[in-house]
Amino acid sequence: MEGASHLAGPFAILGVPMSSVTQEFVLPADWRDFWALTKPRVMSLVVFTALCGLLAAPGEIHPLIGFTAILCIAVGAGASGALNQYYEADIDAKMVRTAKRPLPDGRMSRDSALQFGLILAAFSVGIMGIAVNWLSAGILAFSIFFYAVIYTIWLKRATPQNIVIGGAAGAFPPVIGWASVTGDITLIPILLFAIIFLWTPPHFWSLSLFMKADYAAAGVPMLPVVAGRKATRWQVFLYSFPMAAIAIAPWLMGEASIAYGLTAVVLNLVFLGLAFAVWRNSAENVEAMQPEKRLFGYSILYLFVLFAAFAGDRMWLS
Amino acid sequence: MTEPERSEWTLEETRIIRERQASRSRVLGLILVALALLFFSITLVKVGLWG
Repeated sequence: MEGASHLAGPFAILGVPMSSVTQEFVLPADWRDFWALTKPRVMSLVVFTALCGLLAAPGEIHPLIGFTAILCIAVGAGASGALNQYYEADIDAKMVRTAKRPLPDGRMSRDSALQFGLILAAFSVGIMGIAVNWLSAGILAFSIFFYAVIYTIWLKRATPQNIVIGGAAGAFPPVIGWASVTGDITLIPILLFAIIFLWTPPHFWSLSLFMKADYAAAGVPMLPVVAGRKATRWQVFLYSFPMAAIAIAPWLMGEASIAYGLTAVVLNLVFLGLAFAVWRNSAENVEAMQPEKRLFGYSILYLFVLFAAFAGDRMWLS
Repeated sequence: MTEPERSEWTLEETRIIRERQASRSRVLGLILVALALLFFSITLVKVGLWG
């Protein structure tokens, strides 16, 4: 069957940047491939933190407008994911973790991915501006630009600090959620931004410690590839301290009750304990990197519980 | 979405193309209906007829 060769399988010209790859004939992608382009799992964390920002904000918002705001943030995150995959298809093709994505697997043309990402970005920002407010729309547009251009095109291939600076892109959703209700930005949404911003390095570096071979094969200058695992483990441990301080700050500043304070203290003590175990580990083979895998898994749970605790606290206790 | 054009597709490729176009059209139709409902509802809220 001649057509089968067009349905799947990596690009024939691996190793050449996607910008110079001339894709031959690709069959029209299935709608599920467009869905995969939006990185649904990343989107779930974005939606959750945005919802927490929205629920924690003082004031009233009509439930339908609130729903629209969250929908726009989700679609904007999907746009970022699509534009990211459009540009990074050459890297994705070289990494085991990402090789089966629609573009590197040859299930979709690059043009389709680019058009899809741009349409989602335009719709999400436009509807947010018209239905919610233009401050939220402006921050949403900036966050898409930051992720697609500053992080994906500029930082990711240029510096081991890529995810430190790029982490800002993932920190915007609670700020947008907050601004959807209040129409302004105060200290609390900045704290929520800072929590995610400081959480991103230990989260991603713990992943990159046991995925180092993948990143090295793709030529991405992640910290373990450039500075080695020992230096990365030290950075993971160091970054956990300011993250913990910022996470507890809302309680210390009187912006949340003791219920949130105790939750944050316990969550951060566990985080610091796991980060300490990572720092102590000196394994170079992936099978012995249980501390890194534990910290990576826990960091996702940590963010969900911390934000849920903060939103719940602001809604019912503070 | 724009797809690369080719003059001759095999029968199998043509069948797959039609299937995918049909499923994409159905999903797009559902999204358009949902958007129409959303815009109508937002209008009701904005003009003060809902809540």
